[in-house]
Amino acid sequence: MTLREFLSDRLRRIALQVICAGLATLFLFATGTQPGVLVILLIVLLLAFLTVNMFDFFQQRARLLELKSILDALDRKYLFTECVPQPKGLFERRLFDLARLAGRDMTGAVSDAQASQREYREYVERWVHEIKAPITAARLICRELDGDTRRKLTAELSQIEAHVERALFYARAENPEQDCLFRQIELEKIAAQAIENHRSLLIQNGIRVELENMNCAVYTDEKWAVFILGQLLQNAARYRGPEPAVILSAKPLGRQTQLIVHDNGIGIPAHELPRVFERGFTGSNGRIRGGSTGMGLYLCRKLAVFLELGLDITSTEGNGTVVTLTFPAKENLTKL
Amino acid sequence: MPKIMIIEDDPAIREELALLLENEGYTALVIKRFTDIPAQAAQEQPNLILLDIGLPGKDGFSLCAALRKAVPAPVIFVTSRDASADEVRALSLGGDDYITKPYSVPVLLARIKAVLRRNSGGPEQADLLEAGELRLSLTKGLVASGGKAVELSRNELQILACLMVHAGQIVSRADLIDALWDSQIYIDDNTLSVNMTRLRGKLAEIGLPDAIKTRRGMGYQL
Repeated sequence: MTLREFLSDRLRRIALQVICAGLATLFLFATGTQPGVLVILLIVLLLAFLTVNMFDFFQQRARLLELKSILDALDRKYLFTECVPQPKGLFERRLFDLARLAGRDMTGAVSDAQASQREYREYVERWVHEIKAPITAARLICRELDGDTRRKLTAELSQIEAHVERALFYARAENPEQDCLFRQIELEKIAAQAIENHRSLLIQNGIRVELENMNCAVYTDEKWAVFILGQLLQNAARYRGPEPAVILSAKPLGRQTQLIVHDNGIGIPAHELPRVFERGFTGSNGRIRGGSTGMGLYLCRKLAVFLELGLDITSTEGNGTVVTLTFPAKENLTKL
Repeated sequence: MPKIMIIEDDPAIREELALLLENEGYTALVIKRFTDIPAQAAQEQPNLILLDIGLPGKDGFSLCAALRKAVPAPVIFVTSRDASADEVRALSLGGDDYITKPYSVPVLLARIKAVLRRNSGGPEQADLLEAGELRLSLTKGLVASGGKAVELSRNELQILACLMVHAGQIVSRADLIDALWDSQIYIDDNTLSVNMTRLRGKLAEIGLPDAIKTRRGMGYQL
């Protein structure tokens, strides 16, 4: 609040004070008070008004600054009215009571929303676990079928699993810290698990996977790393070119470790590349090939941020895509 | 014949799993009453226990502890719960392995085999495969016939091993690729052809040029 704002806000009151002083002087002059006395009286009156107004200005400004600093310090701004000391003035107190009532309503609405979101997440997790039982049974039953039908059905079941998995990780990505366990793990194991999870899709699309220099350990959450790598493998299968191949290779980068996922697929147009991590972005490839959800890479990015994993993508259209995962050095991890 | 006890509350999975294990040459014991399971186990004395965590009434974790007291058999957790914390808890309670549903059948069988082997302290695997005049040493990667031997690459070794295990039967290309992926060799159809040609060349070197027959449209046969 500047002095000018304060004055313009107080203009009517100040005008009234000046008019009152003028009228009083006029009245005293008419009733025969000496002009000298009147001048002194006028000066004293105006000085008093000035002092009172300036006092109000500084007091109000200090109060506003105090409230501002309380607001700034708050994590949840909507709890502001609950954290402010009771104001002294009657009018301000009433105003605050009203604001507080509004705030309580807001707090209630927010905690209701949080509770229902948490319940929904729990439901999704439970549902995912329940759906896994019939998928497992179906997989076992599949074994009794002859080769070709079995392979086709297994591939469809794997697709269902991949969708279910994404739903689970979408729910988990909201509160990743609840299910995260950092430990040392071989990159080779992560790769083998991810390939195994998407094996039907990869074999069905005739994809060759090569592993190079993968015998090194990283420090991360195994399940999530497998999920992220799995999304990349699925993309490699979906956007494959002729004679598709995926090469997974690892190399150290200082104390960090890089995992490079290189495919020879159709690539991503340069102007779409910056947007591939956006939620729901499918791009021209997704429209042409179909089956794209725009969720895979979005989830990868979200989980990678939490795992403190570098996630970079480069691509040449018609030539392939290279995704680089940079695993942090153990001592640089902030959450363990 | 190893006895495997299945503790699982989903009837469809339970029955299919029992069928699968019987087909693989195990004896499957299916638990249908979920009361006093440790006593049932003590009576049956299985060689291995497959245990689901989400059982009616009691949870698998406490059951595992009770089972470990009742029988010496190793326990493999088979569950749809895939939180990392659950896995750590399962293994710290004395579980020997932890498999999440939905598992692929080869993976399940491989893990069962590994745990049984670890516990019986038996040999890694039969090292020598024999079929007809062929003798294949898996650890050395050598195939021999009539006094002549030749070294095989990893891919060729797995292809030949798969054909020798199913000697006489027709093995389709898809089945061969599946078998190779099981051994962490992630090849495609073209690479399989290339490896097959090389393998045949090497078999010709030891005097068996026509050991592997191509059955057009069906696969290969040894």
